[in-house]
Amino acid sequence: MKLKKWIQSLIFYEILLGMKETLKHFLKYRPITLEYPHVKKPLPENYRGMLGLLRYDDDTEKCVGCDLCEAACPSRVIRVVSAEVPGEPTKRFAKEYYMDMTRCLFCGLCVKACPVDALGMSQEFEWAVYDKRNLQLNKEQLLAIGDRAFPEREKRLEFQHPNVAYFNVSFKDIPEKEF
Amino acid sequence: MFDTSIKLALTLSQIGAVMGVVLLTVAVLTLLERKVLSWMQDRMGPMEVGPYGVLQPVADGLKLFFKEDIIPAGANKIMFSLAPILVLVPALIGFAVIPFGPNWTIDVMGVEFKPFVISDINIGVLYILAFASIGAYGVILGGWASNSKYSLLGGLRSAAQLISYELNVGLAIVGVLLLAGSLSLVEITEAQAGGFWNWFAFDPVPFPQFIAFVIFLIASVAETNRLPFDLPEAESELVAGFFTEYSGMRFAFFFMAEYANMILVSCMSTVLFFGGWHAPLPFLQAPGMFAWVTGIFWFTAKVYFFLFLFFWIRATLPRLRYDQLMRFGWKVLLPIALGNIVVTSVLAYIFPN
Repeated sequence: MKLKKWIQSLIFYEILLGMKETLKHFLKYRPITLEYPHVKKPLPENYRGMLGLLRYDDDTEKCVGCDLCEAACPSRVIRVVSAEVPGEPTKRFAKEYYMDMTRCLFCGLCVKACPVDALGMSQEFEWAVYDKRNLQLNKEQLLAIGDRAFPEREKRLEFQHPNVAYFNVSFKDIPEKEF
Repeated sequence: MFDTSIKLALTLSQIGAVMGVVLLTVAVLTLLERKVLSWMQDRMGPMEVGPYGVLQPVADGLKLFFKEDIIPAGANKIMFSLAPILVLVPALIGFAVIPFGPNWTIDVMGVEFKPFVISDINIGVLYILAFASIGAYGVILGGWASNSKYSLLGGLRSAAQLISYELNVGLAIVGVLLLAGSLSLVEITEAQAGGFWNWFAFDPVPFPQFIAFVIFLIASVAETNRLPFDLPEAESELVAGFFTEYSGMRFAFFFMAEYANMILVSCMSTVLFFGGWHAPLPFLQAPGMFAWVTGIFWFTAKVYFFLFLFFWIRATLPRLRYDQLMRFGWKVLLPIALGNIVVTSVLAYIFPN
């Protein structure tokens, strides 16, 4: 036994074993590399990426300017400036909507908080920029993200459920009740 | 006068050809090392520049060429500039005595000319060892002239390592010199003609120099600062050792010198232990006129095998600790090398060829 160990250390047995292992990997070349910019890893279904504002299928904005997302946000990313829709005193909308994505931690609480599902999280994550001011997004940019990330849009609420009264739905377009 | 100018032109073109091939091999090696290493580690290596990344050395060279050349404040400018040259030139100059092919003499317009050996001097081995020692000066001076404590530490460690392992390189060669009876690399190669059983690494009578070859290989890995003996460089400990402060082309010089040294050491182990240009089996050598084709082929194949061995060892082994390095060099390799000399000389005396 001692002699065997002595001979093994004499012929660098452990090193030869290691070299056999590396040669095995060299000859059976199966890389695990994913060449990232060319090949992308499939993201999980519930991946929380860049935030975007959504629209209804008639191109009107979903957001009703209720400020609940602003209140829900733990890192104070969102700033909403709410206003009345001109000519429709019962209806409000977000006149300005700002997100400071340098601070966002992508927790998704704003999406949960929204009563009209006006916010959505896309699967975008390649948002590296040279100037961090480019990450302070305004409403138009957020709507653009929402448009390209969610091409399938919902109908307006009053058309989804015609017999139910809804928050922030103006009365003039409601179809008549059917008896 | 005419003879002299022809001799000069021939020699210069020969030197140009050898330097070209060596520098080309250096460029190829930088890519090959990254590729081989990544294949062994289940990676892909460079893939972006050119198909499968084959143009990576060009991109690296261009990048290093256009980089800013920084000389640190307080550095000794002359020594700082001299060090990369002192490292690179000895590495390249060693190729002057390496025989790449059969030792033929051609008569070109009345001038004797050896096409495959730049110069066959009778102290070839000593010449290479001497210039390898001058390379150590470049390392130490580079570390000292940078005015940085990390460089200085790296330089000192390199100095100790290079001096310790140079000794083992020299002693490992002595056995071969005893058997060949010459210091000329051409004569050493010619003593190994005719099949692999005549190569000094395997030659059974009087004594196979395989142990000496293993010592030579280990010591030359340490000499060229390659893993597992890359303590002077030690990316993870000393930033980059003695060339921490170097950038641009000066850094490239150190880098090229490392690879040129690798090629030189591979050439040396080919010539000293594995029969140089001789084919492993006699019938694999082309007869007559075309012997030089197979000669150069076998020489290149052997050199590339040793270069692959360098990468292979690098992919396998982790770096040694400094005290392990010193203990291994002085307490293990040195006694074995000395014992090899004693055994070889006694057996060579009893069974003379």
